[in-house]
Amino acid sequence: MKKNLWWKIALILAVIVIFTIAVIPTKANPERIPLGLDLKGGTHLVMQVNTVDAIRAELDQAGERLKAQATAQTLPSPTVRRISDDSFAATPPAGVPTAQYEKIAEEWLSEYSVSRTGESLTFKLKGPVASELANQTVAQAIETIINRVDQLGVTEPIIARQGGVRGDRIVIQLPGVDDPVRVKEIIKTTAQLQFRLVEGSMGPDEAFVLNSVPAASRGEVDILSGDAQDAFGRVTGRQFYAVRKSVPVTGRDLKSARVEKGEMGQPTIGFSLTAEGGKKFGALTAANIGRPLAIVLDNKVQSAPTINDAIQDRGTISGSFSPQEANDLSLVLRSGSLPASLTTLEERTVGPSLGKDSIRESLTASLIGFALVIVSVILYYRGAGVNAIVALLLNLLILLGMMAYFRATLTVPGIAGIILTLGMAIDSNVLVFERIREERRAGKSVRAAIDSGFSLAFGTVIDTHLTTIIAALFLFQFGTGPVKGFAVTLLIGLAASVFTAFFVSRVIFELIYNRADRPATSISI
Amino acid sequence: MEIFTNTNYDFLKWRFHAIAFSLVFILIGGAMYLKNGLNLGIDFAGGANVILKFKEAVPIDQLRSQIPGATIQQYGKPEERSVLIRLPKQKQEGDYAGQVVEKLNKAMNPASSSQLDLNFQGRAALAELLKSTDPDKKGSSTAAHQYYYDLAQNVIERRSELGIFTDMAQVTSAPGLSKEAAAVLPQNAFLGAFNILSQETVGPQVGRELQTKAFWAIILATLAMGLYIAIRFDLKFGVAAVLCLVHDVLIGLAFMGLINGEFEIITVAAFLMIIGYSINDTVVVYDRVRENVKKSRTRENFETLMNRTLNQTLSRTVLTGGCVVLILISLILFGGEVINQFAWLLLIGTLAGTYSTLFVVPAIVMVWNERIANRSGAKRAEVVRREAAPIETATPGRAKG
Repeated sequence: MKKNLWWKIALILAVIVIFTIAVIPTKANPERIPLGLDLKGGTHLVMQVNTVDAIRAELDQAGERLKAQATAQTLPSPTVRRISDDSFAATPPAGVPTAQYEKIAEEWLSEYSVSRTGESLTFKLKGPVASELANQTVAQAIETIINRVDQLGVTEPIIARQGGVRGDRIVIQLPGVDDPVRVKEIIKTTAQLQFRLVEGSMGPDEAFVLNSVPAASRGEVDILSGDAQDAFGRVTGRQFYAVRKSVPVTGRDLKSARVEKGEMGQPTIGFSLTAEGGKKFGALTAANIGRPLAIVLDNKVQSAPTINDAIQDRGTISGSFSPQEANDLSLVLRSGSLPASLTTLEERTVGPSLGKDSIRESLTASLIGFALVIVSVILYYRGAGVNAIVALLLNLLILLGMMAYFRATLTVPGIAGIILTLGMAIDSNVLVFERIREERRAGKSVRAAIDSGFSLAFGTVIDTHLTTIIAALFLFQFGTGPVKGFAVTLLIGLAASVFTAFFVSRVIFELIYNRADRPATSISI
Repeated sequence: MEIFTNTNYDFLKWRFHAIAFSLVFILIGGAMYLKNGLNLGIDFAGGANVILKFKEAVPIDQLRSQIPGATIQQYGKPEERSVLIRLPKQKQEGDYAGQVVEKLNKAMNPASSSQLDLNFQGRAALAELLKSTDPDKKGSSTAAHQYYYDLAQNVIERRSELGIFTDMAQVTSAPGLSKEAAAVLPQNAFLGAFNILSQETVGPQVGRELQTKAFWAIILATLAMGLYIAIRFDLKFGVAAVLCLVHDVLIGLAFMGLINGEFEIITVAAFLMIIGYSINDTVVVYDRVRENVKKSRTRENFETLMNRTLNQTLSRTVLTGGCVVLILISLILFGGEVINQFAWLLLIGTLAGTYSTLFVVPAIVMVWNERIANRSGAKRAEVVRREAAPIETATPGRAKG
């Protein structure tokens, strides 16, 4: 045997060992090649963060800041109104000069550019400030979603920003989720918790509730609705409340939240506040004993208990919750509110049973197809056919091993990539074998036929592979998810096929037909 | 076993028939598009798909009245009791699939407001129910939580295998469930009308983006391959290769027209595979043509040379094509519903790719050659010799076989 055959065999064995280790499932890592959601089931979501929500909230807060400063400087409070998605107008009462307010703006609202139109001032949020705020909103939304998904116990979730650092989309992939409806609800709930004082009286009629508020302070309240309940916590209808616009304590002041049982055994949510939140809450409750305080979640009043005592750091939210709802609500409260609402742009959910069917069926089909190929290639090329099948199996091993190393996801289009790859790998062998047959027919010796068979076919194989690799590179660059998966399997498989068809098959031929002690006179091909 | 040894089929004789056949097929397919329009799936058009499996016979009428405007069709075999509900393209972004599911759940599972639906909810909700009723007296420790979570997982795993629970006995016989736990479930839970197999929503924005991206991926990949062949071989072959790809894609499109197939992302992957396979086939033949032109010492007619090349590579063309076809046929037969249309398209494309290499490419190259021959007024044989020269200078380093 030739000396340089030894290192070739060693190389092949090393490749086999390395890639076998890569694909054999371990206890710590039972799924070596991550399966795509189309195969194993799960939810893929693309959400848009409506950053405009956060900007509007900022505009409203800035209006409140302006009013508060005016009051602090003993100026009459101006009327504040949002006029677009990046500006608000403030109009002082008649006769009060606007210049004083401009001074406040300079000092306290420096992130706004102020212009005067007639008797009112227009505050426009500066461009860079607005885009930074939008950017932070997305980042904060991602953080909140990560918190929530963590608590759901989903294994290997992917939560990422889409469209670069400034993009406003979030891609969420949750493998193996079996109740997409609930999971989506948990992700999308903004969970903005507010504690707001109630003015006037509450009732089932919106106009009546507004009229119960003194005319002077009607501009200071929002009318919100909630469920009307009987003594057992059952929903009996709708109820309206006039709640103050100012929000002294919010969900940001929460430290934790958990499910508790109410007096009637109904689920409630107990919460505790941070030190700072507790101080604010204490001051609010101490100053308003005897008045109702509305607990507002995402603009819906959950309940409006009367303040009996100053409360420092803990409280209870009761409402008409089912145990599941109470559980989910405490989860979203714990993980923090979303700074803006989300819009679903894309959802793909494959239930676990469909995913199971897909895996079973495509595995069966591939195995049967593969067996048919093995049989026909061996029938057609006999001994050399076995060689080709060895090369093909090694190609598959390398392909799967590489996917395992790179954690490349296997999807249905990826299976198409594998089929094309295996087709081309077989083709490389077939090209070589056909050449060897031709050379044999032309009367060449076994050794010469093998040599020229491989060298004649090599150019062709390089051409076919390069052409396809070029195409695959383009697909990888410009393709979206599934198309990319196709390109990845194709690229890896093609590289492996040159190795298996030209290196491995050749070594096998040389081992069998190129022995120095007994030169071969016939070849099984 | 050797077949196609020393064959001498006259492929080029059939080239006009082949072109005519392809044209007719493509025209029929095109006519079907005129009749049915382009059947864009939700990936590109936007919209929503929901696949549900029902406990009992599919209540088609109720579905129709609940979701007006939706297309409702059977999914898989009738005994699988599954339907595909398709909502057409929507103008605004929104969770349309979710809304359909919610609406149906309200209408068909009225009990779900007070009880847990074992065909709808997941393991987390079930674990919560078991924990709160605590049939096995485990208390409220973390270990108890894990215990009930595992039980819930066994139940849901069972459902995944069955597709849907049709009988409470299937639930209560889940592995690990104690008698007490089995008794608790029928009291607090019920079997809803359906289980969600899959739900998809693609908003208008994403649909448009996917369309553009898929379009450019195919166009750029095709052009890049054509360019490579034009550089590596010559312009004539580059153009012929691209035309050949166009032919194969058109045949695939015509097939999609005939079956009124739905265009989805996965269809793009199928077309990409067709292109990849076809170019592979074409390159193999070109390589041999180039080699034969170089070796050709006699004044061989170009038509004869093409024919000789096609016959030399015939065995390989058929064997490779045959292997791919075998895999595809087993995908069609055993691969299941999800992959079926995809596998059919691949099969037609692979056959078209093989066929175009044998009949269409030579036809294009011949036409090109005749054009040049007519223009220069020279004999065809001389054209071949002139063809040979630039190829040799273009690739000086290649060894002659």
